[in-house]
Formats: sequence, C-alpha cells, structure tokens
Amino acid sequence: MNRSTLFIEFVKKLGTDLSAVIQVVEEAMAPMQARLSVPNFFPLLIFCGAIAILTGCSQPATKEAQPKATAKQEAPPTYFKVDPSTAATLTGSVRYTGPRPARKRIDMSGDPACVEAHHGRAYDESIVENRNRTLANVFVYIKSGLEGKKFETPKTPVTIDQQGCWFRPRVLGIQTGQTLQVTNSDPVTHNIHPLAEVNREWNHSQGQGDPPISRRFVKPEVMIRVKCNIHSWMHAFIGVLDHPYFAVTGEDGTFEIHNVPPGDYVLAAWQEELGTQEQKISVAPSGKIETNFTFKGK
Amino acid sequence: MIRAALFGLEIALLAIALGCGGNHQYGNAASTNEKPIGAPIQIETPLGLPPVPIPANNPETAEGVALGRKLFYEKKVSRDGTVACASCHNPLLGFTDGQKHSTGIGGKTGTRNAPTVINAAYFPSLFWDGRAASLEDQADKPISNPVEMGQSQGHDVWVKKLGADPVYKAAFQKAFGPGPATIGKVTKALAAFERTVISGNSPFDRYEFGGDKKALSAAATRGLAIFRDPKKGNCATCHTIGAKYALFSDGKFHNIGVGVNGEGELTDLGRYSETKVESDKGAFKTPILRDVAETAPYMHDGSLKTLKSVVDFYAGGGNSNPYLDKEIKEIKLTGRERADLVEFLKSLTGEMPPRVGPPGIAETTSLK
Repeated sequence: MNRSTLFIEFVKKLGTDLSAVIQVVEEAMAPMQARLSVPNFFPLLIFCGAIAILTGCSQPATKEAQPKATAKQEAPPTYFKVDPSTAATLTGSVRYTGPRPARKRIDMSGDPACVEAHHGRAYDESIVENRNRTLANVFVYIKSGLEGKKFETPKTPVTIDQQGCWFRPRVLGIQTGQTLQVTNSDPVTHNIHPLAEVNREWNHSQGQGDPPISRRFVKPEVMIRVKCNIHSWMHAFIGVLDHPYFAVTGEDGTFEIHNVPPGDYVLAAWQEELGTQEQKISVAPSGKIETNFTFKGK
Repeated sequence: MIRAALFGLEIALLAIALGCGGNHQYGNAASTNEKPIGAPIQIETPLGLPPVPIPANNPETAEGVALGRKLFYEKKVSRDGTVACASCHNPLLGFTDGQKHSTGIGGKTGTRNAPTVINAAYFPSLFWDGRAASLEDQADKPISNPVEMGQSQGHDVWVKKLGADPVYKAAFQKAFGPGPATIGKVTKALAAFERTVISGNSPFDRYEFGGDKKALSAAATRGLAIFRDPKKGNCATCHTIGAKYALFSDGKFHNIGVGVNGEGELTDLGRYSETKVESDKGAFKTPILRDVAETAPYMHDGSLKTLKSVVDFYAGGGNSNPYLDKEIKEIKLTGRERADLVEFLKSLTGEMPPRVGPPGIAETTSLK
C-alpha cells in the first residue's frame, strides 16, 4: 500500500473526512499554541504524529516533533549579600520653601462615573506640600555607588490601583524584574499607559471587575511617567531600579532606607515638577546617616 | 524551509482528503444531485443592504429555506440532542447567545464568543478567523466540533438517522428531489436559510439612505459623525459605510489588541492559525455592527460586556502588542462623545424578516 492509500484508510478508520480531523486538531491546538508560544507548525506536527502512529508516517516529521533543547542552562546569579552587622540606615526629610502651590481643581465631568467614584473634589497633586512645610511624593534613591552589585528581585509584587479615577499611589518604586500588579477598583474602564523610554512602552485596557494585570520592567529607568489613555488627568510615576535602596516621602516628608551596605553614594531626590537634587554621602558601617533636601519651588 | 515543506505536506494531505469525498456514501457535497430543485426565489433586501449574493450551485428556494430553518432549530443535529444551531445563535439575542463563550454538548465550552448569523450572507469568509469560505462550508463545522455539537465521528450516521425520519425525509425530498439526506444537502439548506437572516431598515438606514433626517436622535447623529471621522472615532475605516448601503465590516482581519493577557501575551492567534502569516497574529474578522445592541458581550473572546466598555476600549487605544493594527491608537474622545457613539450604535438595531424564528414543528419527528 502506498502512503495515499494508507492515509485514506486512516481517514476511513476515523469515520470522518480529513477537513473535520484537521479542524478538530487545529481547534484543539489553537489555545495551547497561543499559551506555549510553540512554533506555528506544531498542530500539523501533532497531526502528522497521529497519522504516524496509525500508518507509519515519514520519519523527518516525527523527528521534528521533538525540538532540541537549545537554551543553555544559565548558572544562577550570585546576589550581593548585605552583612547585617555593618548595614546602615539612611534617613532625612524633604523640605519645601517655595510658594504654596495653588489648589487646582481637577475636572472629571468628562466621565460622570469618575465624578461619583472619586468621592469628593479632586485636586491636582503634582506638588503636595505637607502641613510641616515638607513635600510628599518625592522619590529618594541611591543613584550611584552600587555598581557591580547584583540584588535579588523581591517576590512580592508592587501594586498600583486605579481608584476614584486616580492612580494610587502616584509615585512608586520597583526593582527590575519585580512584578508590577495593576488593579482597577473603579466602575469604569481605564487604560494604563507607562510612557517608558528605556523599557518597552505599553498600554493595557482594564474594565470594571477585570482581573489584575502583571508586568515587569527589565531595565532601570527613573522615572517612567504613567498616564491613563482614557482619563487625561490621571498620572503616576514609577522609578525602576536594579537595587532596593529607594523610598517615597509621605505625609511628614521623611524617608528611611534600610540595610544599606557601607560605601560612598550619590543620594538623589526626585520631584515631578521640581526636578532632581543630588547629594554625595559616605556611609560608615552600621551608621545612621541623615540627609535633608530642600526644594525652593519653581 | 521546514515550515514550507510542512505546509506543502499539509496541502498534499488536504488534496488527498478532498479526493476522499467520493468514498463516502453521504459525503459528496459537490454532487449535482444535491442542488435544490424548487423554483428560485428572491430575497427581499431591506433599506441599507445590497442584494444578497447567492452561489450558483445553491439557488435560494422556498423548500430549501424551509428545510434549513427547521434544521437550524433542530437539537437532534447535535450528538446528544441538546444543542441546535439556534442554541448559540438565538434570534432573541441577535442570533448570538449572550454568553462570553458558548456552551456545547455536555456543558463543554469553547474559547470564542458566538458571532451573529445576521448578514453573514454578505461576507467572503466565516468564523472569527475566516477559516470557512462560504456559509455552506461553515455549516458542518460546529456540528462536528467536539465542544459544540459533538458529531466528531463524522456526519454519515446522524444525517442518515435524521433523514430516515418521515418528516425530514419528505422535507429533504421536497427541497432536493429523490435520494437520501446528505451532509451536503444539510449544509446547503442551512446556508439557504441563513441567507434570509438579514437585518436592515434601522433608524440609521432611514437617516442615511432613506432621507429621513429625524430618524436619528441628536446624540446618535453626533455619534455617526464621530464614527466616520478618521480623526475622531475612526470606526468606519473597518466598519464600513458605503454610498448606497452599509455592511459595517470590511470583511478583513485586524489585531485590535483584544485577547492580550495581563502579561502582554496573545491568548488566541486568530487569523494566523489559518494563514501562518506573522502579521495575522491576534487578528480577527471585523464583525458587523447591525443589531449590535442585542449581541453583548463583545469581541472575539466576549471580554467586553457593554457597548460603553467597547467604546472605552477603543478610546484607550486597546492593548499594546507587537501585531496591533496601525489604525488602533489612542483617541481623544470626551465623555459626551463616547456616549454619543454608544447612542449611534444603538440606532443600528434593524428589522428582521418575519420567517427567521423557530418553525414550530421541530419536535414532531419520531427520531430516537
């Protein structure tokens, strides 16, 4: 019997026509193909495999069905371990001496559901001055001095929520490779869009009740501006670093960065409107270094 | 190279399969004795639609349409007698099923949202990925799909059984003349019926093609302008409106970013599964928009629940992925403009012909 006759026999055995078989195989494979990112001829190979089992299909096809493992096994990276007996703490506060920022009302009337979801009036938060003349939402981080040290990526995700048609938090830090979890607590659709320049830029739609989305940034980038493609007033800023030494000031304008190895560093403070300030610091073993920043306003 | 060789093999296998048709007692769709015998009838087209294209080998006849209508609502077409075509293409839900993903025999679920049958007659390909080239070609595939109607062992047995039923036997003979029921006759009858499921004469049609400027509300009229404006909604680029009629689909395949998961990966390769063309990854057929207010949820995966969420999805620029269509980009639409678009979409609910619902005689058969 030649192969064609064998094939017809196979089709007869199945009691159906070939197009139906292909259909079934392809339909069954489509989701798997998408999930595993397998080569596009994979369904065909499975199909040929099935024929091969029943009829003794050609050798090359079955050979191809077992792709060789080409990716070399990489040795696990050696992470820098901080010696707890010499680790230091960085503290400080960010003062503000500029003019009191005008309270600028945000108009959400373009999306009535947002007006409702925000609970109360929304005001511009590009400069948030605390009661004690300090600034909130300042991203403080070690800008240099850690070169050559590789730090382990935290397993816990950093979450940014879309709540009341606002990003919460507005300013956040994350390590390279760490999971950014994006949630939507609103009854409206948002479209989060980090305008990354070093990392890959992306945007993603998230409707009411949609599950969280998880993304990673692979390269350090300070700061990535984030917007919502649907609600023009929504902004956030993400600082991506390849180490864990960063903090965001809160209601009292202070920051604390723990577990810092002794060494010479540049400590930077970034504010979305007022720019970045840098200070050189020398961290002695087990020291507690206080560094204060002052922003004068625009 | 390997891919090309394998593709060649696939073609060869298909060729063999096509050659196989003659070996089947009931499987020969190309046979001339499967042509409807009755007098051809005209399908009346409502305002806003062009004449329905009818293939030469399947002329529209009253008897063929009647048989197709009966089959469309017949649960005995499915393996366990629980699912009819109408189960997922329910006339009360714009010939869809209101579900995210459809449910087949034994509660099995698919991965795509049931597309409407409405105006399917006008399109050169069927299914979200366009894998069927005609309604005739489409009709037997959900029947044999294991998660839909489950006749995965082939069509011979069930067609023979159904054709032995006296009521169906008579109906097949009236439509196709003497001879047994065949899957070819089944698909031709189903296709002939589906060609009558057309919807037009909507408020939009009366406004646009009937000269009735009061047919649309002020909001819907503004919505239509946004729909057409390439700098605003840019919707009509793919959901086409012609000079004399409007199909609301270019019949082509586009990646609009639906089906991108939280990690940014495509969950369904869509048209690519059919063509193996890289740029077709994640591309799906542009659906028509007629009666769209009746056919929620939306998109190939049923992921968007309301028309508002669909408009918001587009306004936001969809989901980025490497194969996103160039026409999909962030668009600046105010809240009112988005609400206007929704009002316009609601104006596409048209009038359905009278005889597309269940025939009411489906349960009189004695088939066991």
